[in-house]
Amino acid sequence: MQMIIARRSKMMADETSSSQPDDDTEQGWYRLAPMALVFLLLSAVQKFVRENLFLFAGAGFGVAVFDFLDAWKLGLLALALFLMGIVGTMIFHRRFRFRIEDDAVRVRQGLIEKKELRVRFARVQTVQIGQPFYFKPFGLVRFTLETPGGQQSEVELPGIPRGLAEDMRDRIIGLQSDSPAVLDPEAADSSDASLADSALAGTSLYQASTWRLFRHGLSSNQIWLLAGLAAWFFGTLSERFGEWADAQGWFVDIDPTAWELLWLFVGGLIVALLGLLLVLSGLLSIVRFHGFRLSDHGDRLVGLGGLLDQREQTVKREKITGLTVKQSGLGRLLGCWHIVVRQTSSAEEEMPGQKKSFIVPGLNDEDLSLTREIVAGWRFPDQFTPIAQRFRRVYWMRFAAFGLIAIGTWLWISGHAIVVGLIPLIGLALILAAVHLRWRHWGWSIDRRELWVRRGFVGQSFDVFDLDRVQQVQIRRSRYQRRHDLANLVLVLPQGLVTVPYLTLGNAAQLANQAIYAAESATLHRV
Amino acid sequence: MNEHANSFSNRPVEVEALPDFRDAELNPVVASYLRHKVATTVGFWGLFILVSLAAPFLPFVDFNLSKYPAAIASVIMLLSLLHARLDARHRGWALREHDLIYQSGVIFRKQVILPFARIQHVETLSGPIERYFDLMRVKCFTAGGQSADLVVEGLTTATAGQVRRYLLEQIRDDDAQPGNASHADDHRPAQQDDG
Repeated sequence: MQMIIARRSKMMADETSSSQPDDDTEQGWYRLAPMALVFLLLSAVQKFVRENLFLFAGAGFGVAVFDFLDAWKLGLLALALFLMGIVGTMIFHRRFRFRIEDDAVRVRQGLIEKKELRVRFARVQTVQIGQPFYFKPFGLVRFTLETPGGQQSEVELPGIPRGLAEDMRDRIIGLQSDSPAVLDPEAADSSDASLADSALAGTSLYQASTWRLFRHGLSSNQIWLLAGLAAWFFGTLSERFGEWADAQGWFVDIDPTAWELLWLFVGGLIVALLGLLLVLSGLLSIVRFHGFRLSDHGDRLVGLGGLLDQREQTVKREKITGLTVKQSGLGRLLGCWHIVVRQTSSAEEEMPGQKKSFIVPGLNDEDLSLTREIVAGWRFPDQFTPIAQRFRRVYWMRFAAFGLIAIGTWLWISGHAIVVGLIPLIGLALILAAVHLRWRHWGWSIDRRELWVRRGFVGQSFDVFDLDRVQQVQIRRSRYQRRHDLANLVLVLPQGLVTVPYLTLGNAAQLANQAIYAAESATLHRV
Repeated sequence: MNEHANSFSNRPVEVEALPDFRDAELNPVVASYLRHKVATTVGFWGLFILVSLAAPFLPFVDFNLSKYPAAIASVIMLLSLLHARLDARHRGWALREHDLIYQSGVIFRKQVILPFARIQHVETLSGPIERYFDLMRVKCFTAGGQSADLVVEGLTTATAGQVRRYLLEQIRDDDAQPGNASHADDHRPAQQDDG
């Protein structure tokens, strides 16, 4: 038992090790360029804001602090925090070292605890070269390597010469297997050519115009995140304003008819605000993806785009474990899709502060054939097999029974007229309609070993993957499902779970058997 | 390459002809699994009931609890015992040539099929009470997050050891096959003899 743990730790040590390197390996360690300080500081500020914003918003803690401190104390606190940030960043920068070996990159870093990370090139699934605008005049880039291990084993080198980053990228992807054993950052070319030049080398698969990117922003879920933030901000603001106006005695003298006007005004304001958020979301998408281009480089895919931070993402084709093709509700109105290239432990949704997913934005209906270009043979199916109608029936019955009993009890206890019950009844009808939408979207289609799973509600999303990537198959059955020969099929994939509910038992078993067979006869093993 | 091309075949596979996981006969969990469940349930809820019944008689403490908590705890305990009985009856596992099948659940029944080729690491675990009942769990790690790890319960210490050894042998055989060596070397913890 202990041996397993010991050996497992040894394996882990391949990626994370806290041991000190031997003296003779001290040579060949490099530091980041001084400009990297700017990047590190900005990242630290971003992280601080992100981690503390919701604390301030959520617990009313922020209000308490603002009440307690006056402006200059607050300013002093901010200044102190900022200075601490600068000192911390400088120490971090000073301690940061990296070394490039034959088949791996080693990074030594840490403010208080020293950490050494070694990532073997063979483990890398994505290489990112980003160039924030302030790095451009210096020919520097931010170089990121992602492995299946997630963020803990991710290597980020902010502020290294572009030439070195590109050499490393090519080595990792296996393009220059006969390149010199150790790359020298100082000798590397740091000319001012843009990242776009290197991406031009491959065959262009897709380019997104500014309008398409704007449309992607309009339809993306980012709008809801912005709306949430705006609601909190304006909520607090209007509450403050209300209290203040109340204290001035403004609302006492208002003519009651003016209230109607006020409601109209508030309604108009909300609509205007939503419109503004939509435009903002569109603009953010342009900034994030500006000039997006997807190109095919044989065994790898390259996505390039970004205005303030131009980012080149390179993915090894063999490390792609699936695709998610998505269209939000608003995207359906605008005819706008996007594809997320999935890899081991990659998220389907891009969350703020998390690593950036490989997204192909702003696709039209006719661009969906791109799935075939990204992974050979993955053709968008014409038809999907729906799931059993009992899914809809059982949820309709459950919601209707529960809703009607709740509404009836409420009317009986409160003594309201039956007409009043119409309002919750409309709500119930909407829930039943939602169940119908959910049921209608679930579906699957199998073409040899590619399984497509469709799901959605207002929007829709399609997952496609090769069955030989399946890690585990689960068949789940409730009492109701057992009575009616139905089953939920859950496929565990390296990127997460994919569920198909309410299949007939025969279909579920057949799909499960196919998936197990594919996984067990696959030549490609563990991720 | 030529040799590989000659030996390579790609005949269509009849889906109906594939081995069906439902045909596998599952081994039931050992009897001490139920005893262990009963002991832990009675121990936990019994203690709660005892405390709520004894509290009013404690000197110096004015702790006048009503009888309801004890009654509710008794009902929960009885339901848990019933659940444990049914759970032990439906839980089962089987090893096939290429995978491990595990079934669990009372109301929602779950059957998991885990190909050996996807297991990254195997562990055995047991707490002090489990050890008293000679029980051991086998935990199989796979890619796809923590939810993808499979824990097989209801094995005796000896069986769990055997199962783990068998799984590790299967993984090793798997990796020894040509074409898989590099992956094995890359991504997996080394196997070891049982220790």
